[in-house]
Amino acid sequence: MTDVREDKLETAARRLATDISPDRDLWPGIAETIASPRRPRWTPMLAQAAAVVLLIGASSAVTYVAVKGQEGPVVQVAPELLFEQASFGSHNLGPGFQDARNMLAAEFDAELVRLAPEVRDDVEANLKIVRIAIVEISQALEEDPDNVLLQERLLRAYRDELSVLRRVGGLTRNVMMRNDI
Amino acid sequence: MKKLTLVIVGVLFAWPVMAGEVDETLDAASDGRVDISNIAGSVTVRGWSRDQVEVTGTLGRNVEKLIFERNNNKVTIKVKVPRKSGRGIDSDLHVNVPENSSIDVGAVSADIEVSDVLGEQSLQTVSGDVITAAAADVVAGSVSGDVEVSGDNSDIEAEASTVSGDVTLFRVSGEVSAESVTGDVVVDEGSFDRVDVGTVNGQVLFQSALRKDGKFSAETVNGAVDVEFVGAVSAKVDVDTINGRIRNCFGPDAERISKYGPGWTLNFTSGDGDGRVDISTVNGGINLCSK
Repeated sequence: MTDVREDKLETAARRLATDISPDRDLWPGIAETIASPRRPRWTPMLAQAAAVVLLIGASSAVTYVAVKGQEGPVVQVAPELLFEQASFGSHNLGPGFQDARNMLAAEFDAELVRLAPEVRDDVEANLKIVRIAIVEISQALEEDPDNVLLQERLLRAYRDELSVLRRVGGLTRNVMMRNDI
Repeated sequence: MKKLTLVIVGVLFAWPVMAGEVDETLDAASDGRVDISNIAGSVTVRGWSRDQVEVTGTLGRNVEKLIFERNNNKVTIKVKVPRKSGRGIDSDLHVNVPENSSIDVGAVSADIEVSDVLGEQSLQTVSGDVITAAAADVVAGSVSGDVEVSGDNSDIEAEASTVSGDVTLFRVSGEVSAESVTGDVVVDEGSFDRVDVGTVNGQVLFQSALRKDGKFSAETVNGAVDVEFVGAVSAKVDVDTINGRIRNCFGPDAERISKYGPGWTLNFTSGDGDGRVDISTVNGGINLCSK
């Protein structure tokens, strides 16, 4: 079972590109929605779905607060729902991305507990930096949704997050496995 | 007495090696592969002219055993620790390998240092620095620690990354990918066909040559980018920043992205324009020069 799960994770992780040019197999949905020239039509429902996401919290259990524009209710969403309500227009990032991210995040969380406390703190602090970058770029994109540079930077920031998740989980797991004789 | 002697002799020559000092040697292929795995401590690898792999050093008191074995062209060195290992597992390994070997080093809480190895290298640690001199393709990564790769300006593919720490490549040439999340990326005294460097929070400092048809990409989110191409650049140049100024010593002046908003952009063709230079920051100034 563990081998099957690890194979699945490896397959999912291998599909993820970590350099600037994304793997088209993973990103077509994202690229298509970003490239779409549509300007979002702001209805109350879509406005809520297109909320700006603000990252708060300092511990590994991170809470995201979604704020609807300048007004409206403050909605707390769990981390796994972050990308359902992310950041540019009314588009989400697609189920393929979310599945891959969730798998990597689960593996990352499992490996994180094996790390020494100071390393764990370091990793979490850096992941938070990447996520804050996602939030800040998203906020800028909300104000300028057709800004191609910001769109590219946002994609890059999402890839950075996946890269951190994969590398941390993968590194620890690989070394531990090599010692399981 | 005979039985006691046999027991003593058996213990002395027993494999695998128990915790404590280690000093063992195996014959090895001159251009084989050496895999090294150490959870905690340090790993120092040096290439030498002998067709042997030598392991010296100290094993932590709670280390189960050191696996040191050869299978055809591959030599494996593993520090085995109890599954729920805590203290007493730090092991410092000094490994001499045939200089044409390729090496694969994996560690969790350990520094990795490599010198005089001419074959390909894969060096990964979670918490620790990675320092290597590379003469062939190298992948060097840490999570919490610095990564330093030095070369001899022979063409290689180098991939260096960390999450928290600096990445430095010195006299590396060919193709390079270097990234950090919190930390600087420095590339100095090289010559490249392809460069892909970036950091989230930190600076990118590049002082090297970009060859004809070369492709250069540098990105930060929060941090400056300082690029000085050694020699002429023949490329289509695109430089963008949201918050920050662009200063360039060749090409036209940067322009505002929008008359009413933040952001600067610089787009021009240098020389024949057969390469590409893409530089962008979200929050950070950009200096671009060619000397």
